[in-house]
Amino acid sequence: MTQHMDRPKHIGARIQRFEDTRLLAGTARYIDDIRLPNMLHLRFVRAQMAHAKILEIDTETLEDIGFPTQVFTGADIGDLSIKAHQDYPEMQYSEQPLLARDRVRFVGEAVAAVLADDAYRAEDAAEMVFVDYDPLEVVTTMDQARDPEVPGLFEGWRTNVFVERQMKGGDIATAKAEAAHVITRTYTTQRQAGVPMEGRGVAAEYDPANRTLTVWSSTQIPHLVRTYIAEELGLPESRLRVVAPDVGGGFGVKGQVFPEEVLVPWLAMKTGRPVKWVEDRREHLTSSIHARDHSHTLEAYVSEDGRILGLKADISVDVGAYSTFPFTAAGDPGMAAKVMPGPYDFQHYEATFRALATNKCPIGTYRGVGRPSAVFSQERLMDDIAKELGLDPIAFRLKNVVRNFPYTNALGFTYDPGSYAETLEKVRDLLAEDRAAAAASHKDPHKRIGVGLACFVEQTAHGTPDFTRRRVPIETGYIAARVEMTPDGQAFVDIGLQNHGQGHETVMAQVAADALGIDPGDVHVRHGDTLTTPYSVGTWGSRGGALGGGAVHVAATRIADKLKAIAGHLLQTDPQKIVLQNGAAHPEGHPDRHVAVAKLARAALRNVDQLPAGMEPGLEVQYSLDGPNDGTYSNAVHAAVVEIDTKTGKMRLKRFVVVEDCGTILNPLIVDGQVRGGVVQGIGSAMLEHFIYDEEGQPLTVTFADYLMPLATEIPEIELHHIETPTPLTPLGAKGLGEGGAIGPAAAIANAVADALGIEVSKTPLNANALWHLARKGEKNRAG
Amino acid sequence: MIEITLEVNGETRRLSVESRRLLADVLRQEFNLSGVHIGCAQGACGCCTVHLDGKPRLSCLTFAAQCDGMSVRTVESVGGVDADHPLQKAFRSEHGLQCGYCTPGFIMTLIPFVEEMTAEGRMPDDEEIREAMSGNICRCTGYQGIVEAVRKAIGENLKEGAQA
Repeated sequence: MTQHMDRPKHIGARIQRFEDTRLLAGTARYIDDIRLPNMLHLRFVRAQMAHAKILEIDTETLEDIGFPTQVFTGADIGDLSIKAHQDYPEMQYSEQPLLARDRVRFVGEAVAAVLADDAYRAEDAAEMVFVDYDPLEVVTTMDQARDPEVPGLFEGWRTNVFVERQMKGGDIATAKAEAAHVITRTYTTQRQAGVPMEGRGVAAEYDPANRTLTVWSSTQIPHLVRTYIAEELGLPESRLRVVAPDVGGGFGVKGQVFPEEVLVPWLAMKTGRPVKWVEDRREHLTSSIHARDHSHTLEAYVSEDGRILGLKADISVDVGAYSTFPFTAAGDPGMAAKVMPGPYDFQHYEATFRALATNKCPIGTYRGVGRPSAVFSQERLMDDIAKELGLDPIAFRLKNVVRNFPYTNALGFTYDPGSYAETLEKVRDLLAEDRAAAAASHKDPHKRIGVGLACFVEQTAHGTPDFTRRRVPIETGYIAARVEMTPDGQAFVDIGLQNHGQGHETVMAQVAADALGIDPGDVHVRHGDTLTTPYSVGTWGSRGGALGGGAVHVAATRIADKLKAIAGHLLQTDPQKIVLQNGAAHPEGHPDRHVAVAKLARAALRNVDQLPAGMEPGLEVQYSLDGPNDGTYSNAVHAAVVEIDTKTGKMRLKRFVVVEDCGTILNPLIVDGQVRGGVVQGIGSAMLEHFIYDEEGQPLTVTFADYLMPLATEIPEIELHHIETPTPLTPLGAKGLGEGGAIGPAAAIANAVADALGIEVSKTPLNANALWHLARKGEKNRAG
Repeated sequence: MIEITLEVNGETRRLSVESRRLLADVLRQEFNLSGVHIGCAQGACGCCTVHLDGKPRLSCLTFAAQCDGMSVRTVESVGGVDADHPLQKAFRSEHGLQCGYCTPGFIMTLIPFVEEMTAEGRMPDDEEIREAMSGNICRCTGYQGIVEAVRKAIGENLKEGAQA
């Protein structure tokens, strides 16, 4: 039987991960495993007040401490800072100094850097530094931030609004005029964060002989860190190397350039010694970045027969004290405004969105970026509308979801083919019994069952125009891969992603192996090091599989074409008819007439006299793949079944079902792991995780005893179903899938709670306290 | 400084440590065991779990000075550089890890549980398996792959026992 050369053998296979062995054996190298001769350890003195003038930093006590120390403060670093500006005329700029100058703007902001020969001693020394503060008025709420009477956090600011803008399409007045029903609600999602199990850390070493600076950082974006350091410190970028070693989780948190990533290399150059900083958990929870903290007021215009005609949104995000690089203060509110139309078919939309400055830890990216909050509001609203109109929530969604593709939404974004209605229908079938049980339980005085779902689309792997339109300093979103064969017929894949759990070392090998006709075990994937990998934006925005995989496929296919040309020459056959498989090339239909890929590679690299006349030696191709203009849209429906004790509010998550569509599945083992992991983070968002500040701006959640993340005992089995609608917009048909799992749970669980208790739910987290109040409200409603 | 003797993964050494130095730091720095990870240094996440005289203990809440004369096992001793202990193999096949940072702690917490169930000759239910890992936080996997890995490792042990 004829084998088609493009038939995938490894893509789509459930292959175990190559990177697992070192991670399981304890031989992986994370940032704290970087140890350099003569290294100094850095410990920060961090602000203990939320908003204050720095009157004095007293370091005299260190003179008697009994070991050598060095201290640096804001006075030493000039104007070095994190600048994260969007080029909008109305944007108010904030710069986050690497060490606070004159004033601090949130508890945890770095005030002084203390260096010693040992980490314990650096901590001792940091505790001896005395900072005298003069308190200033603290801004902790969105209302305070919008109040023009409250002084600005930065000199020259009008109010504490970084930026307020609008997005619109169609004519919202038409929708309002035609509407039979106008439904207005406000929904809020709490401050939380990705919280990887390994915190941040940076080490740096300057080599004066070669004038090269090497920086190790636990980051998702090594090339962007390199460019930022070079620009901020005024160094030639060619003399800089940034290495992300094994990284113990990121989830978007490590997708920013942090002040510490610029300061540590500066200190290494200043002191002439290697410097390392590894944060502790309290630092991570107060001083890295937080996420979400949204408030949305939505007004839906709905026809008599239950069709959504238009939507108006007012979106505020408490983004904390500083704009973060490279997605800026407007990143989260802008994303929420952009994605709020969701999977539904209506052409009138208007959103006002604003980023508000408060004296809290800055907001940055976390799995989903704006979408978990947007989907929470959008999908709570869908249920609230359905209830008000007396419609079944699934039928109501089925009536409104987009069914004809490509579809251009009110904002002009074009959705590639998906399975919105199919995923809803599948969930309807899967949950029929649970829905019946829920309906029956609504008469039960003690135990109520509720079923809720969230239907969403997720723009993934979006290309450069999406970033230039928003004028964000990220500027682009492409991923580059370089594939190179060695004379023994093995291959390197050097990719501009950073692998911190996504399985790139396996998936990229699968993709390259299929194109080259070799075994994935013969492909060595390298990543996370600017010395070995081509310039790329790094791992974020669900672009690893779709764009990284696509870039590897194109580069490896170009090498395969060359291998085929060599094979055709050696076998005296038309290269178009050569098949590469199982480590050999043979003419189509004649597997017996084969020549080993290793022999072809050796011809290209060593025995170049065997090449066809005029062919260049070498087997190396680099390819950069930008995303589609509007991205490629993954979609999913998440469904939760909960059981609530009406007396205590105690809730049990009985069942969680996901039906998702991420296009072509590259490795089902990894896809399932990504979705399940995301869902459990989403369950944490829905039920547990909450960064709380008091009215003085003091953080109250500074340990894992206060900031609660899901444990194994709190999580049911996550049931997964896949529908594959490959996209024509990426080389392998893959859409992004890393973030989707975290997007739906808050909405699905809140809808389940609303269903169980017969009330509306307007905010997360739905923790024990919130549920007790909601259960009482439900009982009162029933009685009243 | 306090003089102590530690037996770590079969190697016995006398060393002098500051009384405040954590066992985790001594294992990482003096014994070069990079598989000991610190996740919170507050005893809440289980990343730093090692075996102290055969029992899982949090090395971030233990001073090295408390461990004089004790025997310590870390993940490096479990299945070597190939990570070929049955539980490690099951973690691989069931995708029980992603970033790998919490993984050594889970392995060290769960090996005694797997051994205990094997000795009792029974397969624990889901709830028991989840309870056994309730002192460890994994932020990547959602736990399901880890639960399946534990079930698989116990299942294979039981099968082998039945054949023997």
